[in-house]
Amino acid sequence: MVNSSSSGNEPGANPPSRPTIRPAQRQIPSSHSTGHSGSVDSANAHSSHGEQPLPSRRELRRREAEAAAAHGQPTAVYSDAPPMYAEQEPVHSSQDVTGRRRRGQSRQREPLGPIRGTVRTFGELCITAGLVLILFVVWQLWWTDIQANRDNEVLADELTQDWANQDPNELPDDPDEPVVADPVEKNHAFGIFYIPRFGDDYYRTVAEGVDLEPVLNRMGVGRYPNSAMPGEVGNFSVAGHRVTYGKPFNQIAKLRPGDEIIVQTKDGFYTYTFRNFDIILPDAVEVLSPVPDEPEYKGKDRILTMTACNPMFSARERYVAYAELTDWTPAQDGPPKNIKDSKAYDKVSQNGGA
Amino acid sequence: MYAFIWRLLPGNWFVKLIFALILIAAVVLLLMQYVFPVIAPYMPFNNATVTDGGQ
Repeated sequence: MVNSSSSGNEPGANPPSRPTIRPAQRQIPSSHSTGHSGSVDSANAHSSHGEQPLPSRRELRRREAEAAAAHGQPTAVYSDAPPMYAEQEPVHSSQDVTGRRRRGQSRQREPLGPIRGTVRTFGELCITAGLVLILFVVWQLWWTDIQANRDNEVLADELTQDWANQDPNELPDDPDEPVVADPVEKNHAFGIFYIPRFGDDYYRTVAEGVDLEPVLNRMGVGRYPNSAMPGEVGNFSVAGHRVTYGKPFNQIAKLRPGDEIIVQTKDGFYTYTFRNFDIILPDAVEVLSPVPDEPEYKGKDRILTMTACNPMFSARERYVAYAELTDWTPAQDGPPKNIKDSKAYDKVSQNGGA
Repeated sequence: MYAFIWRLLPGNWFVKLIFALILIAAVVLLLMQYVFPVIAPYMPFNNATVTDGGQ
């Protein structure tokens, strides 16, 4: 503005008219200061009818501009006026056309210089990267849970249906001795965990193997290969996510001594009772031995070991929970009473015949 | 980059908007379905097992 006004002053054809006109020019914007280019039309029309000197000034300006245009230097003179003058002077129809043409031209002129274009693209890429990172967090913390829980429900339904079509293993002679579950192929589910401490509606399938895909990420908890099966003397060890992917062991640190962990298989219900926990380093495989932490002993107890990451969202350590088999109910005797009326068992049993 | 994509899309602004939303949905689906599951195992909080080598 400063530049244009100064440049406009120099070629001005009528210096004496300026002092008289300037105050009038000031009055217009002050009385219609809020109006922008859209409302200026009416403002000028109004003032042109009301005040004498203004139309003459505009007339002068227009003549000035026409004269300048005839001389081949339209912009130099005309830049003095605010941009609205340029658009107001022509007839309305042509004004619209020029306006549209201007917008079209500005759109065509979009390609920036190489430096500005690079900077803009770089900025857009940075924003995109940020959005992708946010999306990853959303996916990891929220969507994997939804997906895994849904998969888990489907899997539990399939499992109970399978069980309904199979005969349970033959019961041992001693009624107190539990049936040992049959081993299954890798990546196949064979049981369902119920842990009342984790919630009335908590259940997760347990599958063979501890690979992230597909077992831990999509099938609930995973059994360490070569560990004992449910009911077997030795260490039935499982791993599960503590965060993300359905987080089966999210609340593992809430277990208190005496809490029951019920594992349902085709043959019945194994009730393990939680005894103690430990926090270990990720390479402490001795917790999986038949006598946890004492690999050289053979052991005669039926142990359940559950591992999860510790602390949450870290792989620095592992949280281990130990439980011991305390009760066993064959499938035909129905579920133990502490899960009989739970939402979880309702949900699982409504589909299959287990 | 986005201005360029916007200009490539056919139709008026409404059609462009629909195309743009479809494109965004496709990218999100692609990321969630194929890209993120590949990256996830390298994240530091997905390990739940004890193994000989650690991790």
